[in-house]
Amino acid sequence: MSARAPAVSYDARNTLGHRLRILAGIFVSIVFLFPIYWMVLTSFKQQVDIFTNPPTFFFEPTLATYKEYMRRADIVRRIVNTIIVAAGSGLLSIVVGTMAGYALARIRLRGAGTIGLIILLSRGVPPIALAVPMFLVARKLGLTDKHITLILAYSTFLIPYVMWLMRGFFLALPKELEESAMIDGCSRYGAFFKIILPISLPGLLSTLIFSMILAWEELLFALVLTNRYASTIPVAIAGIAGDTVNGANWGALTAVGTITVVPVVIFALLVQKWLIKGLADGATKG
Amino acid sequence: MGTVQIREVRKSYGAVQVLHGISIDIEDGEFVALVGPSGCGKSTLLRMIAGLESISGGDIAIGNRVVNNVAPKDRDIAMVFQNYALYPHKNVRDNMGFALQQRRVPKPEIAKRVNEAARILGLEHLLDRKPRQLSGGQRQRVAMGRAIVRDPNVFLFDEPLSNLDAKLRVQMRSEIKELHQRLKTTTIYVTHDQIEAMTLADRVVVMNGGVVEQEGPPLELYDRPASLFVAAFIGSPPMNFLQGQIIEGNGLRLEDNTVLGLPAADPKQRRQVTIGVRPEHFVIAETGWPATVSIVEPTGSETQITARLAGQLIRILVRGRTSAMPGDEIRLAVTPGDIHFFDAAPIPELASAEDA
Ligand SMILES: Nc1ncnc2c1ncn2[C@@H]1O[C@H](COP(=O)(O)OP(=O)(O)OP(=O)(O)O)[C@@H](O)[C@H]1O
Ligand SMILES: [Mg+2]
Repeated sequence: MSARAPAVSYDARNTLGHRLRILAGIFVSIVFLFPIYWMVLTSFKQQVDIFTNPPTFFFEPTLATYKEYMRRADIVRRIVNTIIVAAGSGLLSIVVGTMAGYALARIRLRGAGTIGLIILLSRGVPPIALAVPMFLVARKLGLTDKHITLILAYSTFLIPYVMWLMRGFFLALPKELEESAMIDGCSRYGAFFKIILPISLPGLLSTLIFSMILAWEELLFALVLTNRYASTIPVAIAGIAGDTVNGANWGALTAVGTITVVPVVIFALLVQKWLIKGLADGATKG
Repeated sequence: MGTVQIREVRKSYGAVQVLHGISIDIEDGEFVALVGPSGCGKSTLLRMIAGLESISGGDIAIGNRVVNNVAPKDRDIAMVFQNYALYPHKNVRDNMGFALQQRRVPKPEIAKRVNEAARILGLEHLLDRKPRQLSGGQRQRVAMGRAIVRDPNVFLFDEPLSNLDAKLRVQMRSEIKELHQRLKTTTIYVTHDQIEAMTLADRVVVMNGGVVEQEGPPLELYDRPASLFVAAFIGSPPMNFLQGQIIEGNGLRLEDNTVLGLPAADPKQRRQVTIGVRPEHFVIAETGWPATVSIVEPTGSETQITARLAGQLIRILVRGRTSAMPGDEIRLAVTPGDIHFFDAAPIPELASAEDA
């Protein structure tokens, strides 16, 4: 920022500092977006165009890789599986985690802090250490390769995540809101559902979206707990990446990678408008 | 029936006791102010009446029904909070109608009562706004409107005016008083501002450290404070205090051996006393206690003089104007009824009594 910016703020758009910031923004965007761009680009290349050196930006695009791997990697079923698992674990976690977060934020309970901390600490356990015991338990219960298994497994890390985020939202709300609702005729539950939840909706929604994205891209549990029927998209990518008999199959990797990312981007764009509107409406000033 | 009986009520948070047996009897239609310094337990007591805090000991009865284990929603009370606690996602109309909605009052009836309350409070043009589109004063009115549409047994106010600027506070104070005279609903009003308490209430309860120091009509507290604390808390500018020893012939020997002649004798015949005289009860006269003027502050209608009496600063309030100048030697007379006697004790420090 230039030192005299405040004095001429009415035409701040023209100051050098402002231009520099725009340039920096463009640069950062390029750094983050280029790999995605390259992935999408590569997915439409033929095998010969992928390895040209220097890399080419102009080529004859083909859908061949997509066609082949939609079938070979069973993509449609995996996408359906991933949607079921992401939505299922996201919704389950948001319901349980929001209510747990509310309890931690508001209910005067001996040891509430400790309970919260222990639940948070459980996130410190490396997932790999949990995956194998989970697999053994699932096998004993006859639950391997089922959607519900992944939904429950993902909830083990999503619930603490939701709980802590929502607890923060609730702590930021004045407790007089519920008290007022309780005097106005609500029970504690009524106050939560009629007053607190509607106010927290933007936070709730963004937490839900992040949870679903975390579930969407989860690999380790999916790898261990499923094999065919309930297998998800990241498992397919891992399979292609691990299949190095003929050297890395970049065409297939980028094609399936694109298929994985595109729904997330579309989803994020769809809810983004809604999210921003929600944030503006729900501002809790006053 | 809007009577409220508070009997030997105690409150502890863990091992810390914050209310030590409070008893107050409030009649139907009465306006009672709970006043006291910060941390004395006013809000805690009010929240116990509302049912927002559990009762550790004693009973609270509203309309002759003990409500110790009754949920807030079933106590038929309405409360106005210091931060107003308006529902941010509802517009003014729905904020005010929410309680009636919860009680399944028919829609036309809700609309009628909301409109009536809005008319009384001058909120008609704001009914469709969200709370964040209102000024502080307007939010305060909406919070009051939300309370009055309920037509409850008891109104509870917890420092409802403390977030407003001084001018608006005085205006809302009159409106609250007018509202009470119109609705005649039992009201319990918490404030740390003694002027607010004195001007609004039929009866003032002065609390200190979790006990009731004194209760009574405002002027009784002013005229006959039962303790040094109440004497120092009620009245603005605060009462002047002098400590000393009673000697023969109605004299008071101060620490520096100055002897002041007292116009009246201590009814309790103590040897060591603290005497109190309100600034407005000093009269500049031919004879009396000798003092030296140090500051003269005229406001037009009255003049406040700070003077030095036997090494101590005292405050004198005279009506109208005065010819006294800094450095003048003056004599101060006090009529017998205007001198108060207390046990000799350190003068309570009350910053809050003056921030009105
Ligand atoms: N939840 C709580 N846990 C522990 N102590 C509390 C709690 N709430 C209040 N207290 C204590 O109880 C005492 C009385 O508090 P209260 O809020 O009733 O004071 P107050 O008279 O309303 O003061 P103020 O004028 O500052 O609002 C204080 O000492 C406070 O620290
Ligand atoms: Mg308080």
